[in-house]
Amino acid sequence: MNETAQRGLLMSDSACRKGRLMEKLGRSILLLITSLSVFAVLFIFIYIAKDAFPFIKEMGLSRFFGSAQWYPSMDPPSFGAMAIVYGTLMVTVGAIIVAVPLGVAAAICLSDVLPFEVRQVVKPIIEMLAAIPSVAFGFFALVVFAPVLQNHGGALLSTILWVIGLPLGVLLVMVLSEMTASRVQEVRRPSVRLMGHIIFGVALFYLLWRGGACLWNVHIASGTNALNVSFILGMMALPTIVSVAEDSLQAVGRDLREGSYALGATRAETMVRVILPAASSGIASAIILGIMRAFGETMVVWMASGNTARIPSPWYNFLAPVRTLTASIAGDMGEAARGTMRYHVLFVMAFFLLVVSFIMNMLSQWAVDRQRKRWGK
Amino acid sequence: MQRRARYTLDKAFTGLGTASVLIMAIVLLVLLVPITWRGCQAFIFRGTYFFRQMQKVEFDRGNTARLDKQRDQFLAAMAPAWGMINEFEAELKEMPRKDRKKYKANFRETKKAFEAVFGPLPDEKTPILPRSQYGQTRWDRANVKFESLYFREMWDYNTPTGQGVQLLLPRDKDFAGTKLEPLFDYVKLNLSKIMQPEVTFYWQFLVDKSIDSHFFGGIGPEVLGTIYLTIGAILFAVPIGITAAVYLCEFARPGSVLSLIRTCVNTLAGVPSIVFGLFGLAFFLNSLHVSQSKSVLAGALTLALMVLPTIIRATEEAIRAVPHSYKEASLGLGASHGWAVLTVILPAALPGIMTGIVLSMGRAAGETAPIIFTAAVSLGAAPKIMQVFSEPTPALSWNIYNLCTEHEAVNEIRHVQYGMVLALIVLVLALNMAAIVIRARISKKLKG
Repeated sequence: MNETAQRGLLMSDSACRKGRLMEKLGRSILLLITSLSVFAVLFIFIYIAKDAFPFIKEMGLSRFFGSAQWYPSMDPPSFGAMAIVYGTLMVTVGAIIVAVPLGVAAAICLSDVLPFEVRQVVKPIIEMLAAIPSVAFGFFALVVFAPVLQNHGGALLSTILWVIGLPLGVLLVMVLSEMTASRVQEVRRPSVRLMGHIIFGVALFYLLWRGGACLWNVHIASGTNALNVSFILGMMALPTIVSVAEDSLQAVGRDLREGSYALGATRAETMVRVILPAASSGIASAIILGIMRAFGETMVVWMASGNTARIPSPWYNFLAPVRTLTASIAGDMGEAARGTMRYHVLFVMAFFLLVVSFIMNMLSQWAVDRQRKRWGK
Repeated sequence: MQRRARYTLDKAFTGLGTASVLIMAIVLLVLLVPITWRGCQAFIFRGTYFFRQMQKVEFDRGNTARLDKQRDQFLAAMAPAWGMINEFEAELKEMPRKDRKKYKANFRETKKAFEAVFGPLPDEKTPILPRSQYGQTRWDRANVKFESLYFREMWDYNTPTGQGVQLLLPRDKDFAGTKLEPLFDYVKLNLSKIMQPEVTFYWQFLVDKSIDSHFFGGIGPEVLGTIYLTIGAILFAVPIGITAAVYLCEFARPGSVLSLIRTCVNTLAGVPSIVFGLFGLAFFLNSLHVSQSKSVLAGALTLALMVLPTIIRATEEAIRAVPHSYKEASLGLGASHGWAVLTVILPAALPGIMTGIVLSMGRAAGETAPIIFTAAVSLGAAPKIMQVFSEPTPALSWNIYNLCTEHEAVNEIRHVQYGMVLALIVLVLALNMAAIVIRARISKKLKG
């Protein structure tokens, strides 16, 4: 009786062996399925490179990157992509200029300035902003924003200058007056502060008025241009930057904040001198991800950049139409017969995009890892 | 630095941050308000008699008796106008050659503009294209077209800046003294009586097929095509994504293989969408030949690759959020590791996994670049369910681009473009909202 019951609880050697074999088999199957993403990345690189190779072998990369003569339909054709690469860089830089200051400031505000309830509401809205399809942004850029730029471009730029410049300028005037007043004796500070308000205020108003007048007279010939695309791409990159930067600011934790407050620092000093340096890697990662978003975008630039393969004159003229790598791929693939150089040059562009994205992705990952090691997230 | 200066800096700092959030909110409003407002006008607008006629003829909708009554009113109001045109044509034949030549070109243009507003003249043979068989179906477009009938457009280039200035010249002055002169004022006074505008709620815009390149009808094929592509992408990506995440969280040992896989997942997430499109063309169509030409299958596979990292990441986060005690209790009761994962951890992580799936659906529905070369066409019906392996499909995201850049009459169908954009945004944001709600429930559940 006892022997029978005791033997029933023990598994036989063959059953144990079978169980371990099944576990190994299951684990192997899981690994194989998981490796699909590895194979996917490899195949993407291989197939893009495979179709890019005929062009590189025949034409070489020196003229591809060194010439701005993009005339694929001519006989003989010319595939100089310098203007197109320049257009991509131009709109990416423009998007960064729009998105990074706004995004980092918003992340700081959400992280430490606004109440928790407001943050609970705002963060989902930012995520929904990130979810808006890019073709909707492109449609807005082409159908709504481009006519406004073309018909009222000067007035719009002037208005934007006043709307943004006036509040920031007022804050700056207050700060400068206060800093000036802090340098004189206690008794004279109110009068010096008042004088500072008047002088700096008049200077601010004069600068805004002159700047506004200059911008008012600007005439934008084409509403589909680098400025349009830069602004829209900036808006698209903004949610990414805000989300990732805010997460990294949150990850720093309360200890540093409370220590800084205990030593008498104001909130601004805490943020600028303590929290931002601590979260710098995470914020760098956010900025890199935002750049990747702007760099890899297709539909907005295809619809609203003007698609002119020429370096603007002068080189910094954002009011001129430009052409980007992604728009060239999307627009030209329908025109290029399979197997021709015109077909293969688009894969060269895609390979370039792929390599740049890979490098930026590695940079972003390195920044995240650095953040993690530093703060033990 | 003195205390007051530091406090001023602090307030300026706070103002700066708040201003940036406000700017973001304003920009979001500027983006969404015009699209929402004009997108709604694809569904709710003042439709004319021609709209109701078109619905009856093309889709067999509406009350027949009521439509007959409206047609009688239309014919009664139009008879004098048609009479004036016929009388002027008769008058034109009796004119001296010089006078006839003066009026002829303008009359042809006037007649064309007239037919654009009110449809073909009753005695002429039926036009081939549906867009010419009906007058204006929307009251706002009818008014715009009427301006083209009432005024002749001319450009004056004798200006100081050298830039052309538009001049609008009334046509009744061109035809002064003829039998056509009363036509313009008559039509102007009786426009609403002729067109009979009514507020119309056209929800079938979402399901009707388009007629004559979207001049009439709705966006049904595009909506259905987007649904096909989205569901197809999810069907391919979800099993692989969940399996990969389970392996990475529960079975993988730390080491070079694990870090390689993670690096590849991150790389896949960072690939530009147009590169996915090229890869889909080069690999699925030109190498694997999953179909002879563009197809929903190829598009779905391409989109699946694109959304795979999202699902992997979301599922990983969901699995990591499950408390260790669940797993330990299960193992303590004698379950094997695999069985514990299947019956305890995955059910507990299911809400998080659903969040990832829903977010991926939004991403797949909204992407255009991957399907340009693999799945999307401009016109035609969406394929039947058994044809998705070999047939391409219209899609919302592609046709938003196509209709506002490639269409032969972009400004005529602006409401369709806005309607498509609104439909796509609502679809994607609804999925996103669902994901947020699911995540909120997870938080509540784990907290309690």
